[in-house]
Amino acid sequence: MRDHLKFSLPEKYSQRQLTGALAEHYVIRKEPTVSESMAIYDTFDWRLFNKSLVLCASQNNLFLRKLYKNKVIHSAAIASPPVFLSDLPEGELKDRLAPVIKMRALLKLVELHSRLTPYRALNRDEKTVARLVYEETKPAQRKNVSILATHLWVQPLKGYTTECQAICKDLEAAGFKILKREDIYFKAIAAAGKKAGGYSSKLNIRLDPAMRSDEAAKAILRYLLRVVKINAAYLEKDLDTEFLHDFRVATRRIRSALGQIKSVFPMDVVSRFKSDFAFVGKVSNPLRDLDVYLLREQAFKALLPPALRSDIDPLFDYLRGNRSKALQKVIRAITSKKYSQIMRKWESFLDRPVEDFPPAANAGVPVFALAQKRIWKQYRRVLKDGGRILEDPEEGKLHALRIECKKLRYLMEFFASLFPPKKIKKLIARLKTLQDKLGDYNDLCVQEKYLLGIAEKLPAAHRKSTKTAMAIGSLIGALNQEKRVIQDAIAKTIGDYASSSNKRAFGELFASQQKETVQ
Amino acid sequence: MTTLAVYSNKGGVGKTTTAVNLSFLAAQAGAKTLICDLDPQSSTTFYFRVKPKLKYGAKRFLKGGRHIVGSIKETDYENLDLLPADFSLRHLDAGFSKFKRPKERLKKILKPLKSEYDLVILDCPVTISILAENVFNAADFILVPVIPTTLSVRTFQQLLSFCQKNHYDSGKIFAFFSMVDRRKKMHNLLIAMMLKEFNGMLRSFIPYLAQIEKMGAEREPVVKSAAGSLAAKAYHNLWTKFQEAAHVDLRG
Repeated sequence: MRDHLKFSLPEKYSQRQLTGALAEHYVIRKEPTVSESMAIYDTFDWRLFNKSLVLCASQNNLFLRKLYKNKVIHSAAIASPPVFLSDLPEGELKDRLAPVIKMRALLKLVELHSRLTPYRALNRDEKTVARLVYEETKPAQRKNVSILATHLWVQPLKGYTTECQAICKDLEAAGFKILKREDIYFKAIAAAGKKAGGYSSKLNIRLDPAMRSDEAAKAILRYLLRVVKINAAYLEKDLDTEFLHDFRVATRRIRSALGQIKSVFPMDVVSRFKSDFAFVGKVSNPLRDLDVYLLREQAFKALLPPALRSDIDPLFDYLRGNRSKALQKVIRAITSKKYSQIMRKWESFLDRPVEDFPPAANAGVPVFALAQKRIWKQYRRVLKDGGRILEDPEEGKLHALRIECKKLRYLMEFFASLFPPKKIKKLIARLKTLQDKLGDYNDLCVQEKYLLGIAEKLPAAHRKSTKTAMAIGSLIGALNQEKRVIQDAIAKTIGDYASSSNKRAFGELFASQQKETVQ
Repeated sequence: MTTLAVYSNKGGVGKTTTAVNLSFLAAQAGAKTLICDLDPQSSTTFYFRVKPKLKYGAKRFLKGGRHIVGSIKETDYENLDLLPADFSLRHLDAGFSKFKRPKERLKKILKPLKSEYDLVILDCPVTISILAENVFNAADFILVPVIPTTLSVRTFQQLLSFCQKNHYDSGKIFAFFSMVDRRKKMHNLLIAMMLKEFNGMLRSFIPYLAQIEKMGAEREPVVKSAAGSLAAKAYHNLWTKFQEAAHVDLRG
């Protein structure tokens, strides 16, 4: 938390030696030792770390700083340990964190305990010219825990820079090293058995272009299995909604990989696992739907006229009640015999080495060629479906296009490491623009339908409330309005996506000469 | 930023000890505080163990701005900085007269400190010349120590009539009793008289104590070195009474 110079101590250096090193020019006076503790927070997927931010809580204050920097950017007083954004007081800190952590819960990663011994360096007039702080930091308070780091902080006093520079020079001569690009954050995280940035919901799979396709597919699937397992372990704790979300996305990607990386595994294997993972997805559908409604509670309320905003509360109370039931259902499913059987079989399939004789038509093909062909084909499919929508923008067709886009997106992400990073990133970003529009449209359709049916399901007491019915009706109207706005804009988005420049960029990466080798 | 001048046109009344102790109390309560030693005798500077030297002397001081910022020294106490005195400050009066609006120069000099400090305390030398008028113009409040003796009370009356004559707002003047000895009949009589006659008289009495005199040897505010002492309590009381009367809250 200090905006001062930080030094590392020479090996086996004691505090007593420290006073000795400086005693030649200054009187060194020791002050009473104080203890401090500090907890470091981040989301499960390291959203703060990925933005080089460090969030710490000490006593009743929350501090935000940049990695490698000691200066506090924003701080805020808190009454209890923070979990969600909504727990933070209004202000700069909250505003800064909002776009970063969004709906994710803050988790306490590690607690650091420091013993600070301040010293003052005095000149001949016994005026303090610099403050020094000897700091020992441990990752726990117990006595037998070894020290994580020992530092000496030197704080210059305004108007005494010359003296401070001289002290720093003396320290350096005594073997102290000034630390610039060092942050206790990493040691602290490592002490807690974690790795900063160790989990991301994004796909980061490194493939070799010459790899056999079935081997590459297994590498992708193994990566996804890891994501499924990590998130499944947290579902029961219900820390936030994104564990389930990441879990579902990973299972969906598994299904998509099985279907889209064509003819690398025997047909029967593919169809069996596809249906297995469909079960996993299906069982969590209701919970995810409820999560989406509840996450958007404030946004939904904002769509209503102010007079009706509180009248919609019975709906959200009802949804909240349903959510705990839905959560129990998911937990039962993933702790079921069926689920563990699926996982066991899946794991043993992935761990089995690929057979020498390729069991399927594309199994032995180099993955680069297969990736090119599959992406190119799926891209043309998207264009074709998009073209049909331009003729007749009907809801069912938009839904189908959304699914095709998703398949294309997953393929591009699975194989991203095989192509020039900048180029593929740009193409994915363009696809994402189209996907976002289609996704918004689909969400509105689903929500409209859901709300139309919900009024009858509300508990009897609220069913009779005309005001609640009015609020729901008003919300349906607002959603419909929004839907139409998107519908009008969608033609242009599809048109942009089918532009010749985009086609050329796609062709350059994926329309290759080698396609004959792939079936 | 609030500017408070501790001022008297009579010497040896306890200006410096007051300025030093009040600046410490304000800083301790959380107000970013700067104490400016305008007295070439540099007693305040001495109390804080700082060398009496402005980086470029009085000449640059008169220019203000970054020239004075560079001379500021951090004291040993949190939130409290010092602008040290310099022997060349004895020429301050002559220096002011070289500027266009000589009586408002000090106000201009202090202006760049506005954003950095909550409170600026001016420890003024004994004067009723152009420097005094600069102080009257620059300060939001003027705190005057008065010893309950005939001569001291007389000087205070002189100050009031000077202000009246030169149209300075006497509403920003607050006075308190300094070096009080309650055993003396004269002290008690004059205290009663002053409280009756002057509106800005604070019911605050700093006793005549050896402990306060010892500050010169200890070079530390008495409110710090003897926190629970009678002297410390008297300064606490003065600081509270002043803030109440002036309707300011300097807690940072």
